[in-house]
Amino acid sequence: MPSCRGLGKTFRIDGRNVVALRDVDLDLPRASISVFVGPSGCGKTTLLRLLAGLEQPTSGVILRDGAEPSQAAAERTRVGYVFQEPRLMPWLSVARNVGFNLEGRLPKVEIATRVADILSIMGLTTFASARPDQLSGGMASRVGLARALVSNPDLLLLDEPFAALDAMTRRRLQAELVALWQRLSPTIVFVTHDVEEAALLADTVYRMESGAIVARYPNSIPRPRDATDAGIVALRRAILAGLEEKAEPTSVQPSTLKRGTAS
Amino acid sequence: MPTRVAWHRAAVPLIVAVAFIAAWSLGIALTGVSRALLPSPTAVLGAGLELVEGGELARHVRVSALRLLIGFLLSVALALPIAMLFARLRGLRAVLEPPLEFLRQVPPLAMMPLLILWLGIGEAQKVGIITLACFFPVFLGTLGGIAQCDRRLIEVGQVAGLSKGAILCRIVMPSALPSTVVGLRIALGQGWRALVGAELVASSAGLGYMIEDAQNLARTDIVIVGVLVIGTLGLASDWAFRRAIAATWPWVKVDGGDGDA
Repeated sequence: MPSCRGLGKTFRIDGRNVVALRDVDLDLPRASISVFVGPSGCGKTTLLRLLAGLEQPTSGVILRDGAEPSQAAAERTRVGYVFQEPRLMPWLSVARNVGFNLEGRLPKVEIATRVADILSIMGLTTFASARPDQLSGGMASRVGLARALVSNPDLLLLDEPFAALDAMTRRRLQAELVALWQRLSPTIVFVTHDVEEAALLADTVYRMESGAIVARYPNSIPRPRDATDAGIVALRRAILAGLEEKAEPTSVQPSTLKRGTAS
Repeated sequence: MPTRVAWHRAAVPLIVAVAFIAAWSLGIALTGVSRALLPSPTAVLGAGLELVEGGELARHVRVSALRLLIGFLLSVALALPIAMLFARLRGLRAVLEPPLEFLRQVPPLAMMPLLILWLGIGEAQKVGIITLACFFPVFLGTLGGIAQCDRRLIEVGQVAGLSKGAILCRIVMPSALPSTVVGLRIALGQGWRALVGAELVASSAGLGYMIEDAQNLARTDIVIVGVLVIGTLGLASDWAFRRAIAATWPWVKVDGGDGDA
């Protein structure tokens, strides 16, 4: 499964180098949930984008099963990415959005079966022919999640996917995510600002600051978990204490930056 | 209250038309302008009925509409692939953009003498003028739509492992559709304008020819019939186009979300 060695990313902004990620060593155990927390601009999203192949590292390497991937594009076919916004294609129905990554790769019948299955699991069957602009925020987030899951990815990357949702919808989707993970067993990398969400979902919580991983919190509390469990409360406190202790955001948002150059 | 809104939508243009005809009649009665210069609405209606009964109007409309359709489709067939190639191949864009920009500044009718020389006085020259007139709105609309494609949607394709060509066809072009549709609508209007110009010279049929012929015979009533028919056909084709777009791609808001329902 993915691991990083000395991974770094520097962006060039207005003639100066801005380090978004520095010297990250990381092993993501197969079928685990790793959650990254930290202040805005600490490098969480950059790490996710590097893992997805949307950015190229300026130093270090990303390994798959201990080896460097020979064909990045081929590797990406097994990666699912759930963005902060659902990013649905407005011209496609819910069903076709969900099957988007499979079109041209699998026979139509198989795509239809897979899409119907995942829509059923996500409770979206009734909305299969709806357009994205006819969906609520929660529904659209589910469609984004379904699209990432339908190709049965080995690696599922989620970038604050529930941040814009109300507390109840967020809680429901968190439970659905855990249920899907237990059923399909992808390796999940989840980025969030919400410490409670991190404690509820993670096998391991990583705290990031200024582009580096500064703390690691293993979490072996059995599932299903509740926010009021003593272990979850203690873990939340520990993470929050760490975050409050030192929070020096670099104010780097990868989506607004130019392509990186070696530092 | 949708029924009342629909009623207003239908009634307002009708009221405007009636008011226009009334003002026209009143203007003639008050100024005593020569009927040769400005015939009355009833005279124009009579001329129109005469043309309809004789089958002449239908023939001219058929010829003009066919020319417009062929020219319009040819322009779309050229503009869309070239816009796609521009999006993919920077080198080709660098080479072709200056001459295309140059050509865009030249009114299609200014090309008519050359087109007559090169293509003769037959259909090819007329269709050529219409194609030239329709090409740039479609081309620039599509190119603008491609440029405005949401980068975040492209990333969805990249994560899915799509090739650059697949991203262009499956994400960029559909995303450019609203802008392309605006270009297509403008092109249709430009096509009607260019059509009449093309038919004024070296033509034996078509609405432009009908107007030119009527002018030579001092039949102002027929000239006005021709103008009204062209305007009406232009409006009708735009309406039909908008309806077709709304039915095919309901997510494309062709009227700012008003008339596309």
